[in-house]
Amino acid sequence: MTGIQACFHLEWPGFVLDVDLDMPARGVTALFGQSGSGKTTLLRCIAGLERAPKGRLTINSEIWQDDELRPRHGSGHWLPTHQRPLGYVFQEASLFPHLTVLGNLRYGLRRTVAAHRQGLDQAIALLGVGHLLDRKPEGLSGGERSRISIARALAMRPRLLLMDEPLAALDLKRKQEILPYLERLHRELDIPVIYVSHAADEVARLADHLVVMESGHAIAVGPLAATLARLDLPIQMGEDVGVVLEALVAERDANWHLARVEFPGGSVWVRDGGLPIGQRVRVRILARDVSIALQQATGTSIQNCLPATIDQLVDDDHPASSLVRLQVGTSPLLARLTRRSAMGLGLVPGMPVWAQIKAVALIG
Amino acid sequence: MLLTDSDLQAIWLTARLAGTVTLILLLLGTPIAWWLARSQAWWKGPVAAVVALPLVLPPSVIGFYLLLAMGPNGLVGQLTHALGIAALPFTFWGLVLGSVFYSLPFMVQPLQTAFEGIGERPLEVAATLRASPIDAFFTVAVPLALPGFFTATVLTFAHTVGEFGVVLMIGGNIPGVTRVASVQIYDYVESMEYLQAHRLSALMLLFSFAVLLALFAWRPAGRKEAVK
Amino acid sequence: MKLLHHWLTAVTVSLTLSAHAEKVTIAAAADLTFAMDDIVATFKKANPGDDIQIIYGSSGKFQTQIQQGAPYDIFFSADIAFPRELAKAGFAASEVRPYALGRIVLWSNRMDASRMTLDSLTDPKIAHIAIANPKHAPYGKRAEEVLRVSNLWKKLEPKLVYGENIAQTVQFVQTGNAQVGIIALALASNPELATKGSYWLIPDTLHAPLEQGYIVTKRAAGNAAAWRFVEIMDSKPARAVMERYGFVLPADAATQ
Repeated sequence: MTGIQACFHLEWPGFVLDVDLDMPARGVTALFGQSGSGKTTLLRCIAGLERAPKGRLTINSEIWQDDELRPRHGSGHWLPTHQRPLGYVFQEASLFPHLTVLGNLRYGLRRTVAAHRQGLDQAIALLGVGHLLDRKPEGLSGGERSRISIARALAMRPRLLLMDEPLAALDLKRKQEILPYLERLHRELDIPVIYVSHAADEVARLADHLVVMESGHAIAVGPLAATLARLDLPIQMGEDVGVVLEALVAERDANWHLARVEFPGGSVWVRDGGLPIGQRVRVRILARDVSIALQQATGTSIQNCLPATIDQLVDDDHPASSLVRLQVGTSPLLARLTRRSAMGLGLVPGMPVWAQIKAVALIG
Repeated sequence: MLLTDSDLQAIWLTARLAGTVTLILLLLGTPIAWWLARSQAWWKGPVAAVVALPLVLPPSVIGFYLLLAMGPNGLVGQLTHALGIAALPFTFWGLVLGSVFYSLPFMVQPLQTAFEGIGERPLEVAATLRASPIDAFFTVAVPLALPGFFTATVLTFAHTVGEFGVVLMIGGNIPGVTRVASVQIYDYVESMEYLQAHRLSALMLLFSFAVLLALFAWRPAGRKEAVK
Repeated sequence: MKLLHHWLTAVTVSLTLSAHAEKVTIAAAADLTFAMDDIVATFKKANPGDDIQIIYGSSGKFQTQIQQGAPYDIFFSADIAFPRELAKAGFAASEVRPYALGRIVLWSNRMDASRMTLDSLTDPKIAHIAIANPKHAPYGKRAEEVLRVSNLWKKLEPKLVYGENIAQTVQFVQTGNAQVGIIALALASNPELATKGSYWLIPDTLHAPLEQGYIVTKRAAGNAAAWRFVEIMDSKPARAVMERYGFVLPADAATQ
């Protein structure tokens, strides 16, 4: 059995964590939810920083915690944190102030097997922190510290990387600075990553697999695109309700500086960002940028009009709005309309319509 | 030399006593302070109170009860007798034992505060970087708590140099063995040899000042907090 | 009118009483602890309006303190040299009067001291001998004298422990940390210690006499209660108490 099986039951005054999850052995799994949803607690349970009195944790057939193993003896099986081959990136970088950057990076290395020392050079290169090695953490910027803490976790070549909202403590500019590094991680690491976040756009950019948490429970689990397209989770997404689709750069128009990206079921035109043909990309289309027409419109500025079929309609958060899920070929699309429009157009499941997409974001 | 041989003997004895006690308390007090800083056990409060007792008890009271305890009818005295060791009152090691108890809070409390100031995070980080709890203690907690160690060492040393009440009760004032400088000065005053008292006091003042100055000059600079 | 008359009488009477009832602070050598308590108790019965407070301590210290202005009205010293110093320096309102000749004893609560002599102190079973600090305690000086005169000082010095005053010396022996002590007869013969231990009277031929004396301090010159108190020191009952506690009085000493 490969992958990560995590089953925890934990009760604190005013808070309960109760999950039973299977997560893939590769790629980025995002634990997504608002503050208080239990996502950080779950991450800490996986790391062993919290000990749930009843839990079972298996990583690729290795048992890290099992409280049912020896029920009579009461102690169960428990691997303490420092014996787990993981890397953990905390929300605030938390670098050791008494060591230089290099000292921080090397800290974990001294305690791991010699064969893993290559990891240090690779981590430094991946996060671009080679020029900071002799500095002390005090004088560094928030973004630099964040990158170093990620490099520090990676230097030991962990078998599992846990990240607790690594961007939460940074301002927008720093976030934008670091996201490319995280995307690079995502592409180049072949170890599983569990990434905690409350920011939908981070999740959209980085995750392959999604676990949505609320009040200590996992209310949705599944691959990113499919889970995002679910209509029963608008509260978590809020204004950022939308879909994420895996696509390929199919065509470039040098004249108009546009590029066409193709996803299963259709393609859209976006601004040419310089990416070569064949490059894999992700596109994000927010529900608020999609409108529906019964006929293909002419004389409109909207470039992307795709034939689609109505899949499902639900009431949105606000009584005036509805959320509609459409299928464009095999790919889902979400649209936010007023109920009046939906009624007025007579939209029903199965109906063929045209989806008009006003804005597309290229991510990752 | 303005000072008599017995004065020099007293000073040397004082220095030996303060040094020995400080070293012993570093070894003994550090684990106690660490436990107090981190434990959630219900009996942490009582332990902290016992550690703080020497702060509120008059030294002569402490000395008196130590005298009883170390004597032939006391717990400690019976223990030493059973182990075949000579009784502790009137000996250097008896003073060491008494001083260890008397100066205990001066070592434990600054260390405890320093350890508490570190918080959980650096130690959690160390654990995720493969450091066992003992490894993390020596490579992370101790360096971050260094100013606390400094304060605790200085306070303990200075406090033991100035110790009088306890020594008076259990020392027996034996030259070269338990006649520390503070008792020597007291004797000069009692027998109205004020000139000698002034001289020895001045020297003790200079000695203590020099020690403190040297330690402060060497002090690790500033307070370190885990960088966010 | 009658009310006012009563009130005036009450005020006058109380004022008069307080004029005669005064506070007296006595500084007494530690060896007088039990004897002085008795005498003061008797005095208080006869003079209920007077407030007597006794502070016990080392005679040398009291002398220094009185010179620095300490509020003592009467000073009983274990060594008559101290009040004589004070008188010379102008701190005495009365003449220096002797009140006893101090004696020293070997005392133990663990061993039978009544069978001992000074030579018994060399017994290896005796690990520590407590004496008062010869530097400043009169009893300690005499103890050292006695040991030197008997040629035992060199042998016994390693075993000696020094109490800051005679009371602490007793404490060392009482707690069992010193097996024997050389202490004041006055302390050994009071019921507290007498029932718990035994003593051997050290011949007074071996040491210089320990003349003990007292003065009324300059400060208490106008304190009527203080003068009343020192008057009773000469009375028969007070003398009997002192003798009971082993304070041989000068007048009687001449006849012994």
